[in-house]
Amino acid sequence: MASGPSGSASGTVSTLIPGGPPVTASPGIVRVRNPIWGFIVRRLLLGAFVLLLVSVVIFVATQALPGDTARAILGRTATPASLAALREQLHLNRPLVVQYLLWAGGLLHGDAGNSMAAQEPVTKLIADRIVNSGFLVLCSGLISIPLSILIGSYAALKRDRAFDVAASLTTLVFAALPEFVVGVTLVVLFATTVLHVLPAVSLIPPGGRPWEQPVAMILPTLTLVLAVTPYVARIMRASMIEVLESDYVEMARLKGLSEWIVIQRHALPNALGPAFQVIALNLAYLAGGVIVVEYVFNYAGIGGALRDAVSNRDLPVIQAVALLIAGLYVLLNLLADIATILVTPRLRTRL
Amino acid sequence: MEKRWSRQPLVLQGPTLTRRELLIGAGMVAGGLALGPLIAACGPSTTTGGTSTTPKKGGNFRLGVTGGGAKDMIDGQNIVTKPDQARLVATFETLLVYDEGYNLTNDGLAESVTQDAPDKWTIRLRQGITFHDGKTLSSDDVIYSFQRLFDPKAGLFGAAGLGSVDPNNITKMDARTVRLNLKRADSTIGDQLGQYYNGIVPVGYTRSGTQNGTGPYKVQSFNAGQQSVHVRNPNYWRSGQPYFDQVTIIDFPDPAAQVNALLAGQLDAITDIPFGQVDVVKGHSGLKVLESPGGGWLPLCMAIDMDPFTDVRVRQAFRLMANREQIVTQVLSGHGRVANDLYSPFDEGFASDLPQRHQDFAQAKSLLKAAGKDGMTVDLHTTDGAAGMVDVANVFAQQAKGAGVTVNVKNDPNYYGDQYLKLAFSVDFWGTRNYLPQVANGSIPTAPYNETHWPPANSNYLSLYRQTLGEVDKTKRIALKHQMQQLEYDQGGYIIPFFNDLVDAYSTKVSGFAVSKGTLNLDSFGHGFRTIWFS
Repeated sequence: MASGPSGSASGTVSTLIPGGPPVTASPGIVRVRNPIWGFIVRRLLLGAFVLLLVSVVIFVATQALPGDTARAILGRTATPASLAALREQLHLNRPLVVQYLLWAGGLLHGDAGNSMAAQEPVTKLIADRIVNSGFLVLCSGLISIPLSILIGSYAALKRDRAFDVAASLTTLVFAALPEFVVGVTLVVLFATTVLHVLPAVSLIPPGGRPWEQPVAMILPTLTLVLAVTPYVARIMRASMIEVLESDYVEMARLKGLSEWIVIQRHALPNALGPAFQVIALNLAYLAGGVIVVEYVFNYAGIGGALRDAVSNRDLPVIQAVALLIAGLYVLLNLLADIATILVTPRLRTRL
Repeated sequence: MEKRWSRQPLVLQGPTLTRRELLIGAGMVAGGLALGPLIAACGPSTTTGGTSTTPKKGGNFRLGVTGGGAKDMIDGQNIVTKPDQARLVATFETLLVYDEGYNLTNDGLAESVTQDAPDKWTIRLRQGITFHDGKTLSSDDVIYSFQRLFDPKAGLFGAAGLGSVDPNNITKMDARTVRLNLKRADSTIGDQLGQYYNGIVPVGYTRSGTQNGTGPYKVQSFNAGQQSVHVRNPNYWRSGQPYFDQVTIIDFPDPAAQVNALLAGQLDAITDIPFGQVDVVKGHSGLKVLESPGGGWLPLCMAIDMDPFTDVRVRQAFRLMANREQIVTQVLSGHGRVANDLYSPFDEGFASDLPQRHQDFAQAKSLLKAAGKDGMTVDLHTTDGAAGMVDVANVFAQQAKGAGVTVNVKNDPNYYGDQYLKLAFSVDFWGTRNYLPQVANGSIPTAPYNETHWPPANSNYLSLYRQTLGEVDKTKRIALKHQMQQLEYDQGGYIIPFFNDLVDAYSTKVSGFAVSKGTLNLDSFGHGFRTIWFS
């Protein structure tokens, strides 16, 4: 988690939210001719352009990987005859530009191509894995987001008291630990050595669905929750402290509003703005970060597909998974910006 | 070149049957009826672990295997990953089989395989064996299987060892008898017929079609890189076998996750425990480690026609720089046996009498000085292709310093790309094979993987090889093999530091596993999951 995304997030946040005026009315979502639609369309077009760039970069980077796809797939068992047969079958003899255009043209028609290693359609290969990874990210997000908002807010309210100190210490420790260490430690604690109450690996049979095996979901989800919660909790705490010290919260208190109303009507919505950015980045990070967790728990997700595809130089699969993750980044960032704008009237009017 | 033999069939019979005679002998294999009970009695008696000696039926056996991925396949005659091996032996069978001692036996689909003349072999199929779809195994299937091995489009490697077979000159004698008319004399056909990847497939078989074998389990589902499910073949020809209702073979990218799954009871057996975790598994009361002294090896290969190894004294010096005991300790954590620059330790003609080489810096230095190469520097190319390939290079480089030689280890992921077989000094890996099949694969000009570019131009090695291939007299053949090995021992390009063990683990709930010298893990995956059961 040393490479966690929170650093870049706070940078974005401070430029977006200079002060933070109070939100007195419900956000005007249902206005006619809302300028936010123009903003969304612009951002989507930009996102599509980014994905195009990503696909070119991935293509070039995959070509730069040492070794050759046919060799990588066949390993040393390859004979000259079998190598030639496979190269022909995979169109590896064609020029690079032709290979790229063939792939890109297929994608525009909704065909992500065939996996070179499995010799099956990429969509068939990763459809189940997307569901599995998506469900893991969803579970982790559904638990970690409310949990981190609660921890962060409560720590801010109890600033410098016992809970705050304990929460700070715990979140710092978990932020510093790689998921790998957390995952392996959980396995030792709950599956193999100390207790034998949970499965050590999450074996979802092909065609099966992860929600059919809730017990197998516990440890991977917990690992991801422990990896992500600290960041969001810490940004939430900082943001909440800033808001609680602001003039408008003091004004609300002076007006005699109950502390509960002050928090949930005035403080929390304003503190959430910066948190949205971090949540979005962490969700996107989860989508990529599941790779490590999937490895530790042998969880059949996109991480495993990507790792395997890279070792086989299996370009169509690498492209599909990388574009999926990149697309998710684009989409989540967009959603976070929209959410931030909606809770920040001054930004809304600037569109 | 080869001695041409008279056309009359060779019938070797005798009361004391050794490996080759057992294979060839007509008396031993006269009837399938006599073999049935013999084989049935063999299964339980080889038990090492477990308490029950009476096999019980039932259960879902879950195996974890590392090394698989999206490129996994099921094919009766091909593998690219280790889980593929497990799937193949569950589904398909060979004409002959190797037993736990790496002895070739006629316990396969053929009731006899006979070398009638040096260049003629006859295969007689067992009666009443059916494929999973109910079709009876016949000569046509055997002929189709051979022809598929030679089909360049199929991209199979079994053909490399069957170079003497003429795929267009295989005769169907009757419904259960096939005659191979070879292009030249070859006494190793039996060895090839016992290689697990030369499986017998039905006429018309393709990889993308139905997986229709004669093996103990039918393929129920297969998902590359994830798992495959195999269900009991109710019409299996060996009475009583197999014992499991179902076998599930699960891919594991991470060896540590695999050990965890075994510790947590989610698997019943795993292949290749990381050496660091052997003690963890041994310390667990419900688990056992199966350590098999295999014949696999990781050679350091010196190309004898490339600088600086063109001088035989340099090759001899390099062989004297290796401290083999230290390599076994540091690379294998002790899970292997010191080797002597010779391969095929289970072969009838293995030259175990040649003196064991030891590290000798004084001798190495004087040889290098004589060759004018003292204080030399050389690159050693390696890659993460098989476990230990990088480690063995690093340990050797360290040891070479003692002789004043600088070895620069180049760990190159592109190694098996275009450089392989073109390097002066490199590391490679091999599994268990008998001597002549191994020579065909790695030590003659036509071999697909001749790293050392053996033999030298002026050597009589090649003619010795051809002579040995055609020699049907065991004593003479062994003597010829010794001559060949003597040449390799004196002048060869291989530094072979060790034969590595296969270190696997299984739950004590499973009975029937035996320590095996075979090339495949876990007692050849419990002989295709048919000689093991839940006690």
